[in-house]
Amino acid sequence: MLMKLTRFATRSALVAATALALGACGGKGSGSGTTTQAAPLCAADPGPAPLRRITRFEFGRTIADLTGVDPSVAQTLPPDEETLDFDDIAAAYSVSSLHAGRYLEVAEQAAATLTANVTGMTVLAGCDPTGGDAACVSAFVAAFGRRAWRRALTDDEQAAMLQLYAETADPKPTDGLAGVVATMLQAPQFLYRPEPGIAGAGAPQPVDGYGLATRLSYLLTGAGPDETLLAAAEAGTLATETGLLTQTDRLLNDPRAADLFVHFASEWWEIEPLATMDKDESLYPAWTDSTPAALAKETTLFLSDAWKNGPTLASLLTAPVTFADTALASYYGLPAPSGDGYQRIALDRTRAAGMLTQGSFLAVHAKANQTSPVLRGKFVRAQLLCTPPPPPPPSIVVSPPVVDPRLPTRQRFAQHTADAFCASCHTLMDPIGFAFENYDPIGRWRDTDADVPVDATGTLTGTDVDGDLNGIPSLAAKLAVSAEVGTCAATQWFRYAFGRSEQTSGDLCAISALASTLTGPGGDFKQMVRQTVRMAAFRNLPPEAP
Amino acid sequence: MKRISRRAILRGAAGAAIALPWLEAMWPRKARAAVTPKRFIVMFSPNGTLPTQWTPTGAETNFTLSPILMPLAPHQGDLLIVEGLLQEGGGGDGHQNGIGGMLTGSPLNPGPFAGVGAPPAGWATGPSIDQRVAQALAAPTPFQSLEFGVQVGAADNWGRMIYRAANQPLPPTDDPAQVYTSVFSDLHTDPVALAHLRARRKSILDAVGGEYTRIGSQLGSADKQRLDAHLTAVREIETRLTTSLVDNNPACHDPTVTTVATQANDSFPAVGALQMDLLTMALACDLTRVASMQWSRSVSQVRFTWLNIPDGHHDLSHRSDTDSDAVNKLTRINIWYAQQMADLIARLKNMPDGAGGTLFDNTLILWSNELAKGNTHSRQDAPYVLAGNAGGGLRTGRFVSYEGQGLPHNNMMVSLLNALDIPDTTFGKADWCTGPLIGLL
Repeated sequence: MLMKLTRFATRSALVAATALALGACGGKGSGSGTTTQAAPLCAADPGPAPLRRITRFEFGRTIADLTGVDPSVAQTLPPDEETLDFDDIAAAYSVSSLHAGRYLEVAEQAAATLTANVTGMTVLAGCDPTGGDAACVSAFVAAFGRRAWRRALTDDEQAAMLQLYAETADPKPTDGLAGVVATMLQAPQFLYRPEPGIAGAGAPQPVDGYGLATRLSYLLTGAGPDETLLAAAEAGTLATETGLLTQTDRLLNDPRAADLFVHFASEWWEIEPLATMDKDESLYPAWTDSTPAALAKETTLFLSDAWKNGPTLASLLTAPVTFADTALASYYGLPAPSGDGYQRIALDRTRAAGMLTQGSFLAVHAKANQTSPVLRGKFVRAQLLCTPPPPPPPSIVVSPPVVDPRLPTRQRFAQHTADAFCASCHTLMDPIGFAFENYDPIGRWRDTDADVPVDATGTLTGTDVDGDLNGIPSLAAKLAVSAEVGTCAATQWFRYAFGRSEQTSGDLCAISALASTLTGPGGDFKQMVRQTVRMAAFRNLPPEAP
Repeated sequence: MKRISRRAILRGAAGAAIALPWLEAMWPRKARAAVTPKRFIVMFSPNGTLPTQWTPTGAETNFTLSPILMPLAPHQGDLLIVEGLLQEGGGGDGHQNGIGGMLTGSPLNPGPFAGVGAPPAGWATGPSIDQRVAQALAAPTPFQSLEFGVQVGAADNWGRMIYRAANQPLPPTDDPAQVYTSVFSDLHTDPVALAHLRARRKSILDAVGGEYTRIGSQLGSADKQRLDAHLTAVREIETRLTTSLVDNNPACHDPTVTTVATQANDSFPAVGALQMDLLTMALACDLTRVASMQWSRSVSQVRFTWLNIPDGHHDLSHRSDTDSDAVNKLTRINIWYAQQMADLIARLKNMPDGAGGTLFDNTLILWSNELAKGNTHSRQDAPYVLAGNAGGGLRTGRFVSYEGQGLPHNNMMVSLLNALDIPDTTFGKADWCTGPLIGLL
C-alpha cells in the first residue's frame, strides 16, 4: 500500500537518494564521538512516515497516565490489526463505527475517573476548576490538552474546547470538564500521531520538538510524553542529537522501557496467541485453563530480567534460566523454587536455551495434539533469519499427519522428505524443527515420543551458521553467532519502531546501522534502541509528496 | 432518581396504553408498525464443505436433503438451496479472497496481509451485500446493521466479511456481554438520564468531529483519508443518538446474558447460542433490520470437542477426499453448522414481530462459506442456503442448480437485493456480474 503513504518519496528521488544514503551510512555503528551538530544517520532518505494510530496497548497506558483509569479499559476496544506480526503497522488499521463507539465509552469512563479526582485536576490546572471559575477552567483545558494532545493547544483548539465546556457544563461545572476530557480523548490529536509537515517541502525536514517527544515516549514507554520530555521539547533541546540522547538514556532506565521490550519481543516471538490457546487435554491433562497465563508470566519475567541485565541477542537465544512458581515448576517437572511466587531458576544448559525453550513459545508453535516441526522450523526461518520459506503451492492438498500413537512425530513427517516435491520446501523447515522434538506440544521436556527415545538431530542449511543439530541448545548456539540473525532481529525492531515494513534504500541503511549496535562489541537491544533515535527515519520527515 | 426499567415501560405502553410523558419525549411516535419491515441476515461458516455430502438430490420442488443439510428438515418448505455458482473473489490467498469476496462480490486490494502463495492483500474493494441492503433500506433504527461473531480471531482480512465500503471492514463483536452493553443499554437506562446522555454525547461528538476535520486539513491526502474514515464512524454514532427507538412489539425485552469464557474453544456453542439470542432480540426490538452471524473465521481451527473431534477444523479440511476419517468428521462439523442455521430459523419463527406474525415472515437469511471445498480452495459450486421469503420476495421450498452455466454469485446477490425490493441491476465488481440470476426468485 505504498501509494497510500502520505510522504512517500517519489521514485526518481529514491533512485537519486540511494547513493547518498549509503554514503551517509558509512560511519554506522560507531556509537561514539557524537557532537551536538551530529546529523541524523542515513540522512538522505528517512523513508515514508505514514500516519500512526496509538495501539490498544499504548492507548491503555496513555489513558491511565492521563486520567488514573485502569489501563485494562483498553481491552474493550477491538484488537489491533496485526501484520508483519506487529500491532502497530500503519498500513493495516481501520476504524468502524463500533470501534468509534468504544472510544466514546472508554473516554467517558476515563473522564469520570479524572473529574472525580479534584486534587489531581487542581495540581494539573494550578487552581481548582470544579467551581467553574472561567480563568481556571481555561487553565485546566490548556494543561490537560497539552498532556493529552502532547503539545500546546492552538488558540482555535482552546476556543473550541471552551465552547464545548459551556455546552456540557450542565448541571455542574464538573460535567463540562468531563465533556472536554472525553472529547480530547477521542480527538485525532490523541488517538493518532499527526505530524503535519511543511507543505511542498522538497527535502527531508526535521520532526519538530513535540513530534520528537511523542516519537521517543511511544518508542520507549508506550505512552505519551511526561512533563520532563514536554519541557525538553519546548526548550528546543531535542533538536540536537545530544539532547535527544539525554532523554533517551533517561527513559531507557525507566522501568516502563522493560515493558516495551517485553511487548516487542512477545510479538516478534509470536507469543500472543497463547492467551486463547487450547490443547487436547485428553492427551495433555497437565494443560489447564490457568496454564496460558502462567506461561505468559514466565516469559514476561524472563524478558524483563534479560532487559535489566544486558539484553544481548545471545542471552535471549541461549540463557539457561527461567522463572517459575511451585505450580509451574511442577508442570515442567522441575524442583520447586525456594521462596514464594515466581523465582529465577537456573536450568540445565544441555536442555534449555533462552526464549527457544520457553513453554509459551513451544506451545504456540505446536498443534493441539502433537508437536509441529514445520511450525517450529518455519519460525526460525521467518522470524529469526527473515527468510520465510515459500508457502505451499495452492494446487497441493495439504494433509497434516494423523496422530498415530505408534509412530513418533518425525516418522509421521517422513513423507515431506520422501516426496521430492514436498522436500523442496520442507527441507528448509523440518530438519530445524526436529531439533525441538525433546519438547512436547505444551512445552515440557520429554525423553520419549511414542515410547521411542526422542531423536532431536537435525540440520541447519542455507545460512551463515550451517551445520548439524542435536537439540535446541545446539541450534541456539549457532543462531547466537549468526550475522544473519542479527540483521533479522534489527529488521524486526525496525518494523516495530517505525510501524512499517522496510521499503527504501534508506531503510536498509538504517537496519544495517541498527544491527551493528545489536551485535557489535558491547552491543545489545538497549544499544540498538539508543541507536534508533539517531536515525533520519526517527529525526526527519520525508519530503512532501508533490 | 427512580429507575424504571424498559421492560416495565413497554409492558405499560402495550398493556394499558398509558401515555408516559418522558417516553414520548425520548421516542417520538412514528407510524412504523403500519409497515412490517423487511430484514436480512447473513450467516457464515468456514473452511468449505463437502459437495458430495452437502448437495441435495431430486427436482427443484421435490428434493431430498443431503446428510449435511438434514438438520434443516423441519424448515424444508422455507428453504431455497442454490448450487452451481462460482463464488467470485480475487487478490490474496484462497481463504482471504474467499471470505473477502463472499459477500462483496469484489476482489481484495493489495495490502499488508501476507497470505499463502499469493501477493500480500488488504481489504475488499467494495461494500458487502448486507451493507448495500442497510443503505438501501435506510431504516429508522438505531443501528443500520449489527455484526455478531463467535471467536473471530485476529483483526485481519481472513476474519472480515462485512465491509461498509471499500477498505472499511466492520469487525464483528464476539463477546455477548459487549454486545449487550453496546446495543441494549438503552433498554435498561432510565429514560430521563438517557435523554440527557444523548444530548451530551451529541455535543461531544460534534466537537470530536470538528477536530477530525481540523487535523485532516493539515495532512497529506492519504493520511487525511484515514481521518475521514474515522470521522464517518463518529458521524454514524451521532446519527444513532438522534434516532428514536420506537417499537410496538411487546415481545421486545431487555435480554439476559450469562457469563461465559468467550474465547475458550469449548465455549464455541454456548457463545453462539447467546449471540443468536441477542441477534433475535435486536430484531424483535427493531434496533436493526440487518445482521450477520460470523462463526469463527476463514482457516478456522476450532476443535469440535463437543462432537468428540479433537482435530482443528482447518487441518481436517485439507485432508484427502478418500480419507474416510476426515470425511466423517467434516460431515459432522458441517451438520453442526446446519443445526445452528436451523436453530436461528426456529428462534425467528418463535418470536412475534408485533404485527401479528413472526420475525421470520419478513426475513431473508443467507448462509454462505468462503469456499466450496476446503482441500482444493475451490470456489466453484459454492454452497448457499437461503431461508425465509422476505415477505413474499422469493419462492421457497426449492433446490435450484446452476451447475455448468458458468454464472457468478454476484448475479445471485442482485436477485437477493431485488427480493428485498431493492431494484439494483448489478452488484460487486462489474466484470463479475451479468445481471440478476434468472429463475431464482
